Amino acid sequence: MSTVEHTPSESADAQKWVDVQASDDFAQLKHRLRKFVFPVSGLFLAWYLLYVLLADYAHGFMATKVVGNINVGLIFGLLQFVSTFVITTLYVRHANKNLDPLAEKLRGEIEGDGK
Amino acid sequence: MNATIWSLSAIVAVAAVTFLLGYVGSRKANTTPDFLVARRAIPATRNAAAISGEYLSAASFLGVAGLVLKDGVDALWYPIGFTAGYLALLLFVAAPLRRSGAYTLPDFAEARLGSANVRHFSTFFVVCIGVLYLVPQLQSAGLTLTTITGLPPWFGGLIVTAIVVINVLGGGMRAITLVQAFQYWGKLFAIAAPTFVLFVVFLASPHRGTQPISDDGVIRFPQAETITVAEQVVKVRVDEPLTLKVHGQIDGRGADGPVFWGRGVYELSPGTRMEFTAGSPVPVVEGSPTTNHDWTRPQTGGISELLRTYSLIFATFLGTMGLPHVLVRFYTNPDGKAARRTALHVLYLLGLFYIFPTVLGVLSRLYLPQLLVNGKTDAAVLMLPETMVPNLGGQILGAIVAAGAFAAFLSTSSGLVVSVAGVVSTDIMPGKVRDFRWATVFTGLVAIGLALLLPRSDASLTVAMSFALAASTFCPLLVLGIWWRGLTWVGAVCGLVVGGGMVITAQVVSVVSSYTGRWAPAFITQPALITVPLAFMTMIVVSKATRRRAPADVNQILLRLHAPDPLGFIRDRDIARFGTAEEKARMADDQRRGAGRTR
Repeated sequence: MSTVEHTPSESADAQKWVDVQASDDFAQLKHRLRKFVFPVSGLFLAWYLLYVLLADYAHGFMATKVVGNINVGLIFGLLQFVSTFVITTLYVRHANKNLDPLAEKLRGEIEGDGK
Repeated sequence: MNATIWSLSAIVAVAAVTFLLGYVGSRKANTTPDFLVARRAIPATRNAAAISGEYLSAASFLGVAGLVLKDGVDALWYPIGFTAGYLALLLFVAAPLRRSGAYTLPDFAEARLGSANVRHFSTFFVVCIGVLYLVPQLQSAGLTLTTITGLPPWFGGLIVTAIVVINVLGGGMRAITLVQAFQYWGKLFAIAAPTFVLFVVFLASPHRGTQPISDDGVIRFPQAETITVAEQVVKVRVDEPLTLKVHGQIDGRGADGPVFWGRGVYELSPGTRMEFTAGSPVPVVEGSPTTNHDWTRPQTGGISELLRTYSLIFATFLGTMGLPHVLVRFYTNPDGKAARRTALHVLYLLGLFYIFPTVLGVLSRLYLPQLLVNGKTDAAVLMLPETMVPNLGGQILGAIVAAGAFAAFLSTSSGLVVSVAGVVSTDIMPGKVRDFRWATVFTGLVAIGLALLLPRSDASLTVAMSFALAASTFCPLLVLGIWWRGLTWVGAVCGLVVGGGMVITAQVVSVVSSYTGRWAPAFITQPALITVPLAFMTMIVVSKATRRRAPADVNQILLRLHAPDPLGFIRDRDIARFGTAEEKARMADDQRRGAGRTR
């Protein structure tokens, strides 16, 4: 199943792929995607791990009362949920606004001269 | 007795509706692609409900409440991790994977790395993860039927297996998508409605619950209680001395009559019966907080607890993307954009759901302390309605919960069986519909066999192990495969073997340890913190060493994954290139029929 057959039209396609690969637009697309995905996931994971660490070793800080029975630990805990949703929404927005139009343009270039 | 009849009718109703939906859907499904990805024409919202429906398994429906009852706030990491895993899936793999055009994980592995070897290893681990995830579903089904009717535990597992296999045989995935979407809303109702009612009951009760929480935070029995240890040895910790009557064996020595328990750990043999008086302190299964004070505080276990929590976070965050039954559903999105939207909806739906088992778990702490003694905390959700409302209302609520729990087993098991059987039939047997049917039967048999063989433990813990396995195998394969051009098939295979091999070894060791006195250290029961980085490192190092094995057209493949949305474009080329003869035939067929439909 892994054998790859190249028909003449496929190798012409392959050339087109290589051109797109080399284009500035594609580099830009990759750059935008990476610039978002990796820092955000790093931050996200760090934020979760930090919370566990604080819960473990900073009892005093986490127990600081803010309002009534609500302490810092509780607020941070709820923020974990909130941050998950915020990041997800941000990503979907970022992708729809910054990634998809560029992707669409590239696709137009590839498909442009007839499929 | 009445309660039994209510619950049983509710379960039968769930099974009947599942069958009906399966039947309706199956009349439209006839060819292999129909079975496997339902023509990729399912709207994002329904797909999200279906993914959530499939995802909310016994571990979510029963296990989360059970762990909250036992471990308190620390147990919240399970629902958080189960949900947040979707974010990792969304960020790293959802859209590129959808664009790859592959149907299954092994398809992806082969298409990306251009080697059939990596495909075989992937197939093996898909089957492992799927079966490992099926086992707690079937065992929980047994627990549910035992709790409701007193039937032996193997019975429930067998029934669920039979329903799932017959239903999958009848309809395949399109039917299942409909069924799964229905299941999500069904499950949400089944857990939300009782939670609202019971919470009102709790607020209205004169003492705000049945037990006074004394100043020292020791948890006590509200009334006299007789508890029998089930089929496995239980270790309990006593913090506050108490006197009770015991008939059976403690620490291997026989006892028959009143016994004094000082501070310490006691080992109870199966069949031992204990009679506690009202107001006596509750011994708690070893490893869980013994006082309400500790129960409400996070991380009381020091450094080992910290590492365990980190390990769990790693497993659930990174494991979700490697679960075969979740991924296969992302292929049913029409394009990468829809895949992202689906993941967002899934997050909302899961977040909404997990509020309810958490509340039920907290309530169980007040009303069902006896579960802390025999460790069967997974039964808390099932027993709570009737304990809190001992009349017809409680029985009906109990029936709703039982039906929801059954829906959870059915939906998750169906999804797992479909994806495992899909992989087995396309990779091990030649892909014809008939083989898919044989593969379904085979998967069902293996799963029920293991479920009967292995000792039952908390559903969430067992499920967490399959997350760890997924995180140590497919997470590195997917993340590196999508984001790093240097990955070679040799590196991928080595990483799969190292990561997967270690998790499977850990699983075997922890099963052995649960039979021989629970001696395994924490990192064995939750190994992801060690195995995931090792799997990543192995893949990277070996790939660097075997650089010449990288596929020649790696740039093109990566472009396919990251570049523009592919509808009717990359997908079809990928199938033309990597697909089976049958897929190619279907593609031609689709193009003829659907030329105007797609854009």
